[in-house]
Amino acid sequence: MKITEQRQGAVSVIRPAGPLTAAEAPQFRQHVERELTANLGRVVLDMSEIPYVDSAGLEALLEITEQMAQGAQALRLCGANKTVREVLTLTDLAPLFDHFDDVTTAVRSFL
Amino acid sequence: MAAEQIHAVNAPAAPTAPTGTTPIVAAGGAAPATTTTPRARLLLRGESAVASIGIGAAVILLAAMTALSWWTDRAQRAQVAQWSTEHVRAIGATLGGSIETLLSQGELSQLRTLVADAARAGGLAQCRVALPDGRVVADAEPSRINLQQLPERWQRETAAKTDVACDASRVVATFPLSVPNRGSARLEIAAPLAAMPGARWEAQAGVGTIGAATLLVTLVMYRKLRARLRAIGAVREALMCAAQGERAPAVLAVNPALGAEAAPWNALVEELDALRRHANLEQARQAVGSRGRIGSSSASSGDGARGDLDAAFDAMPQGLILVDEKLKVRYANGAAAVFLQAKRDQLPHTDVSQLIAQEEVLAGLRGVSDGTLRRKTTIEVEQKAPPGAAAGAAAGATTVLRFTIRPVRREDSASAMIMIEDVTQQRVANESRNHFVAHATHELRTPLTNIRLYVETAIDEGERDPSVRGKCLNVINQEARRLERIVGEMLSVAEIEAGSLKITRGDLRLDQLFEELMADFAQQAQEKNITLNLRLPPKLPVLQADRGKIAVALHNLIGNALKYTPEGGSVTVAVDVSARELVVTVSDTGIGISEDDQPRVFERFYRAQDPRVEKVTGTGLGLTLAREVARLHGGEITLKSELNKGSTFTLTLPCQAEAA
Repeated sequence: MKITEQRQGAVSVIRPAGPLTAAEAPQFRQHVERELTANLGRVVLDMSEIPYVDSAGLEALLEITEQMAQGAQALRLCGANKTVREVLTLTDLAPLFDHFDDVTTAVRSFL
Repeated sequence: MAAEQIHAVNAPAAPTAPTGTTPIVAAGGAAPATTTTPRARLLLRGESAVASIGIGAAVILLAAMTALSWWTDRAQRAQVAQWSTEHVRAIGATLGGSIETLLSQGELSQLRTLVADAARAGGLAQCRVALPDGRVVADAEPSRINLQQLPERWQRETAAKTDVACDASRVVATFPLSVPNRGSARLEIAAPLAAMPGARWEAQAGVGTIGAATLLVTLVMYRKLRARLRAIGAVREALMCAAQGERAPAVLAVNPALGAEAAPWNALVEELDALRRHANLEQARQAVGSRGRIGSSSASSGDGARGDLDAAFDAMPQGLILVDEKLKVRYANGAAAVFLQAKRDQLPHTDVSQLIAQEEVLAGLRGVSDGTLRRKTTIEVEQKAPPGAAAGAAAGATTVLRFTIRPVRREDSASAMIMIEDVTQQRVANESRNHFVAHATHELRTPLTNIRLYVETAIDEGERDPSVRGKCLNVINQEARRLERIVGEMLSVAEIEAGSLKITRGDLRLDQLFEELMADFAQQAQEKNITLNLRLPPKLPVLQADRGKIAVALHNLIGNALKYTPEGGSVTVAVDVSARELVVTVSDTGIGISEDDQPRVFERFYRAQDPRVEKVTGTGLGLTLAREVARLHGGEITLKSELNKGSTFTLTLPCQAEAA
């Protein structure tokens, strides 16, 4: 899994490419958590290049947003495809995240 | 091995994840498209499984036939030998008595005739009467007789037994004779084994025929069986795949044309897959669902109003800290712990000075505690990337925190409340907006100044000289257009911000477009002594695109190239058309863009941190707009650049329209 990141203003946009599965989840989680600490939570996860997420990937996402929930924040997701959205909905996890259509609106939500 | 091949065939389409990490939903999506290939393979493999059984059966059958033929031959030989032995015994018994009588009477010539006759009639190879000392009395072959006169008496041997021996080709028998009053003698008979080639071949032919018939029947049965077993073979292969961890239905499914067993098997596989996906989902739901509500459940477990307040404060994205008069923390909510990078349960009773390093904030708090500060104060502090963060990716991330301090009035003590907010993004946005306003006013003022100047000139001198008036009006027109474009750009960027920028597709004649662009820029290029090259292919397509927006995008790219190329340089616009896309490259020999700036030049209001760029006027909106336009058309703009050597912007647009 290749993870690229981009700064938009004070927000770090993380865009992983490839399926988020058990093999990738630890690396992914570490990466996102590092960015979260460095930016005090100003992170947007661009999911447009993630084709699907398995249960380990879901758990990683959940752990991240749970950790953020302690500061009354939620992980901001954008560009998730239908498959990923379906999984989040079916597992009742969707309400735990903030969802945006694209990176721009997600970044603007920090204003 | 078979399973690996199947993996390889199937790999690109259906994700065959390692066991235990199967994708929850995606597996089903890509499957149907790829079913044909593995099914075709399964058919082959199904046949080969039965073929091995067929070959085995044929080999066993042939071996059985050979063994049978050998056994028949052997039994036949044994029978012939036995028959010949019996024959010889019978002859010996019959002859024995007569010979004894003749010998006792001394009738030598009669004896010899008898022996010769018996040999002829019985088909014997040898028939002789010999005395114990080896002298031959009578023989079927007269030349072998070496006793002409029978003696009166001769020696008598103890009677030996009748001895019959049989070798591969003949039977040799010795019968003891006892001649009364004279002595003993022996009768030796040898007979060839009766050869019966006819019977032998007949038997072999019988065996052969039966064998061939059986083989034929086996072949027919094999063909029938193979047809029946194809599906079973395929199912078996599928099971072997499954044993190696393969679970994708696309791989495990069996071609329904193979037999009646295929359909129920496929149904089973589908069902299993559905169940497995369901179980996966359920598992994920359980792993995840119970913990999804931890926050709320733990908050509601608190008692009464206190728990409700805790929950309410924890739902605040702002950090909230209550300190007592000794500047020790009395209460802190979750967000405060995050902003201060501390563990929440360690916060109460900690001295604030250990948590907050900024002296301004501490001074404010002290003011509250000694009563000198009675109103709310707001302090914004910048802090570098927190110490916990790793260097590298996050380096340079600056966070701006706003601390708001309010005295909390109580009868006994002077405590204070601190609210912490993260205002980094607002700060950044404000800064770029200020930048923009500064640039934009400058950008707007330049054409306005020009217009005013030329209007004055036209008024003063235009009345006298119509040529001056024409020139002035021309310049005014040009500047007005420039102004219009700038305002349009700003509006478009505002639309991008709001997400409402739309394109209206229509016929876009590229040759016209480039003609206009070149006309627009010719003068500017000439003024700066820049060679402006245009390389067009012989035929340009008519695109379905938003003419105005594409024109603006190209205008910005070419305008930038001219703006940032020093005098004497060159700008090249090259157009390349392929069946699927239109590629416009704008390359210059200008100042280039540093690697640090390259990823950011497309950000709105961003202008490269280069003094040479700052000298040139610009809004920092052109590239943002150009890229947004390209993306709205399904295309993209990419950048390659080297500082001080030049930049190349490449605009790619998909073209569905046929060449005009």
